[in-house]
Amino acid sequence: MNRPATHLPLGPVAWTVATFLVAALPHLLAMPPVLGVVVFALCGWRLLVARKRWRLPPGWLRLLLTIAAIGLLAVSYGGLWGRRAATGMLCLMLAAKMMELSRLRDLRMVASVSLFLIASQFLFNERLVLLVYLFGGVLLALAALLRIQQLDVNRRTAPGGDVALLRQSALLLVSALPMALALWVTFPRLAEPLWGLPDEVMDGKTGLSDSMSPGSIANLFLDDSPAFRAEFAGEPPPPSQRYWRGPVLWRFDGDTWERAFLPSRTEAPRVPPGSNDYRYTVQLEPHERRWLFALDHPVRVPQDARLSLDFQLTRRNPITTLTEYSVRSNPDFTDMPRLPVTLRQLAVSLPEDRNPRTREMALELRERFEDDRALIDHVLDWLRTEPFYYSLETAPLGRHGADEFLFDLRTGYCEYYASAFAVMMRAADIPARVVTGYQGGFWQEGGQYLLVRNSDAHAWVEVWLEGSGWTRVDPTAAVSPARIRSGAGSVAGGGEGLEWLRALRNRYDRLQHLWNSWVLGFDADRQQRMMNFFGLPNLSRTGMALLMAGVLGLIVLALAWAWLRQPARSRDPVRRAWLRLARRMQRRGLGPGLGETPLAWAERVAHRLADGARFLELARDYCAIRYGDRGNEADRQRFIRAARRFPVRRAVEPRRAASV
Amino acid sequence: MNKPSTARSGAPLAEDLARARATVNEIIVDKGEVIDLAFSALLAGGHLLIEDLPGVGKTTLAQALSLAVGGDWQRIQFTSDMLPADILGVSMFRREGEQFEFRPGPIFANVVLADEINRATPRTQSALLEAMAEGQVTVDGRTHELPRPFFVIATQNPLDLTGTYPLPDSQLDRFLLRTRIGYPSAAEERRLLTEPDRRNLLKDMEPSLDPNRVMELIGLAGELHVSEPVLDYIQALVAATRSHPAVKAGLSPRAALALIQTARAHALVMQQDFCLPDNVRTVFPALAGHRLQPVAESGMDGDAVAAEILESTPVP
Repeated sequence: MNRPATHLPLGPVAWTVATFLVAALPHLLAMPPVLGVVVFALCGWRLLVARKRWRLPPGWLRLLLTIAAIGLLAVSYGGLWGRRAATGMLCLMLAAKMMELSRLRDLRMVASVSLFLIASQFLFNERLVLLVYLFGGVLLALAALLRIQQLDVNRRTAPGGDVALLRQSALLLVSALPMALALWVTFPRLAEPLWGLPDEVMDGKTGLSDSMSPGSIANLFLDDSPAFRAEFAGEPPPPSQRYWRGPVLWRFDGDTWERAFLPSRTEAPRVPPGSNDYRYTVQLEPHERRWLFALDHPVRVPQDARLSLDFQLTRRNPITTLTEYSVRSNPDFTDMPRLPVTLRQLAVSLPEDRNPRTREMALELRERFEDDRALIDHVLDWLRTEPFYYSLETAPLGRHGADEFLFDLRTGYCEYYASAFAVMMRAADIPARVVTGYQGGFWQEGGQYLLVRNSDAHAWVEVWLEGSGWTRVDPTAAVSPARIRSGAGSVAGGGEGLEWLRALRNRYDRLQHLWNSWVLGFDADRQQRMMNFFGLPNLSRTGMALLMAGVLGLIVLALAWAWLRQPARSRDPVRRAWLRLARRMQRRGLGPGLGETPLAWAERVAHRLADGARFLELARDYCAIRYGDRGNEADRQRFIRAARRFPVRRAVEPRRAASV
Repeated sequence: MNKPSTARSGAPLAEDLARARATVNEIIVDKGEVIDLAFSALLAGGHLLIEDLPGVGKTTLAQALSLAVGGDWQRIQFTSDMLPADILGVSMFRREGEQFEFRPGPIFANVVLADEINRATPRTQSALLEAMAEGQVTVDGRTHELPRPFFVIATQNPLDLTGTYPLPDSQLDRFLLRTRIGYPSAAEERRLLTEPDRRNLLKDMEPSLDPNRVMELIGLAGELHVSEPVLDYIQALVAATRSHPAVKAGLSPRAALALIQTARAHALVMQQDFCLPDNVRTVFPALAGHRLQPVAESGMDGDAVAAEILESTPVP
């Protein structure tokens, strides 16, 4: 092991540490806090070392600490596999590298790997804000690399301040954009994403679960992030009809509602002619489950989706990336005019030993009302007139959940109502099932799309009625009509004064929507369509790769041409400053002739310049420095500054009329 | 910061040079550039060929130059019946001493004006040119050193070619610079016509220098600083002559060396203490013009080629 010959100065170390921390921050936030503390501690300690010129720890200690950190990681994640653990590992290793940051090479390595680390956040999230963050991080990383470069004695670069570094780095970033754009447009898209491991990608965020026990989606209501966006061809349905169907739950064990695994439909449902269909395209945010959401009742579904007997729309694979699909829904469709016996049995079964009070009331009602519809109306009326309240803040339910809710608690939200109502229906021998999904959404006037947030999650009931088949009944609407008309946010309370914030968020979502449509949604299909638009035939993946190579080749050629055309860059900064001044003069038509010497040029144009005498002086200084090898470094810097600041202004030409 | 200015060492020497230059400028008015070139040729240790019509002041220039420099000067009017001995000198048998005695010819002087050199036969011409190249004269097997400095100003009439032997191209190379004087401007000509004869001034002229100091100046010129970019420039110019389509053969390395030396001398004449591209540019046509042999069909002469190269070669 060779000891570092020289101590790394604080400046480049600080730049590198800052780069690493910015790159690691999104990962750190998702990590167990103890790991974040380790990373921050190591970075802070390294800065102190640079500041106080301490020695770095010996090899055995570094090894020990690194092994301990990896052990901590393995314990925190229960292993070293998976995306989270892998990026966590990368963060930890880079932080451990802080302990042996002793040479230029190490600094370069950390700054370069930080670039990869920043990009790896897209494994978890593809939001627009992260792109902005990515640009910021890359800017910082490039500036850090430039700063490190200044230390390199082999490659002397002009010293510059921090602002100059950032400017230079921005220049690099901007000049890389055309290449990035070309790559992005022409890179062959895969029909399926390359990654999409269904593990803990949602960062603890719950999508809609495939089971329901009252109280389970409470945290979903507080999640304001978008669930999906829908664009309609034509008018969107009115707010009271915006029921986005998700999992349909049949089995009830007294606590939890679960799905029944019904066979899928082999053919598309038949639609009565002349019906008023809704045609729309949904951009579904990744939610790690298989289902897609559609309005009642989906009749034309995407190719790669299955429609089950109870109108659940599912995909073969979990939705791990932004997914776009088109659906046609018919609101007037009659679902199952005839109910098979097996399904009927499933839809009325209840655990025997639960909810005696509810069953008792249901039997009573059954005796009073022959007609199912009358019974349902009565129950809804009862819910409306009795003191039932809609609230997200409520108590958990015990063994006889429906009893406790209907007769004692009387405060809850959609799940409570839907579950209790379905239990009541089943007790009265009316086939009932619970449907979960989303209800409502925010209509973006500017963007012409419906934004549905996770807080719009909802649960309602479908009952089977003679003549109309499965019919939607929303007991929550009976209690709190506002929940259905204007969305969960309006009843959840709070945020009255935050109107402007909500407006801002809605505006931001429009940007996000554009980003989703044009960037994330730029899949193989769109790519093909764009190629067709430019008159290119449908290309195979190989063809696309060749096209990409071709486009990149053209860009490289163009860059090479531009590079060769520009006058050879002098290594002498004094000469470069002079040539820059010459170019500025050229723009005023006062440039030097091809074979003209600096002095001859200056003497020729001096009288046409407002500051001619100063220009002559500059030219003499230049000659003394460049041809006379006169002046020290300070003189050279002074000349460079003077040349940069020299104002190129034409002298006021004496008017000819006046002189005559 | 230092400006291109007075020489570092031997400031009085530089002042003497300035005075000599001023004196010559007083006598030959309005010909500053030619005079500077003449001084450059002298201080670079070379010789000067003036190609011009009679009566434009060639002889006066040579005379003034030699007077300003100090030392003795000789004028040789070349004719077609001239023999080498008429220039170099002869060995005569002295009866008293019973031995040969060398009687030096007119070439034994610091400044020699060789007038109308193309009137002499090639044999005579080459005797002069050899003496110029060697700095010594060999007569009857005995070598006689020429005085130092030894500076030949030769003139040649480019128009009246009947009965002449134009110098062959290979011999032209012996002259460091070739230049023209040209007519004076109208105003200066008027002064010439109205004022008393300037040649009278020659009689009262005090030499500002002497041969020793000229030798010192030559040494000083040889040490003058030439920076990398100026060397780049010189190399670029020389390379351009070699690739120019109108030229049979470009400048030789010897010519390149001469270019550096002349540029240095010119810088010294201009009172600079380092060499500028401007010095190179000024001396380049005089140095390259007679050395470049254009192909006949190009329709250009050496001077035109040199000018074109100067215009198209960027100054590094």
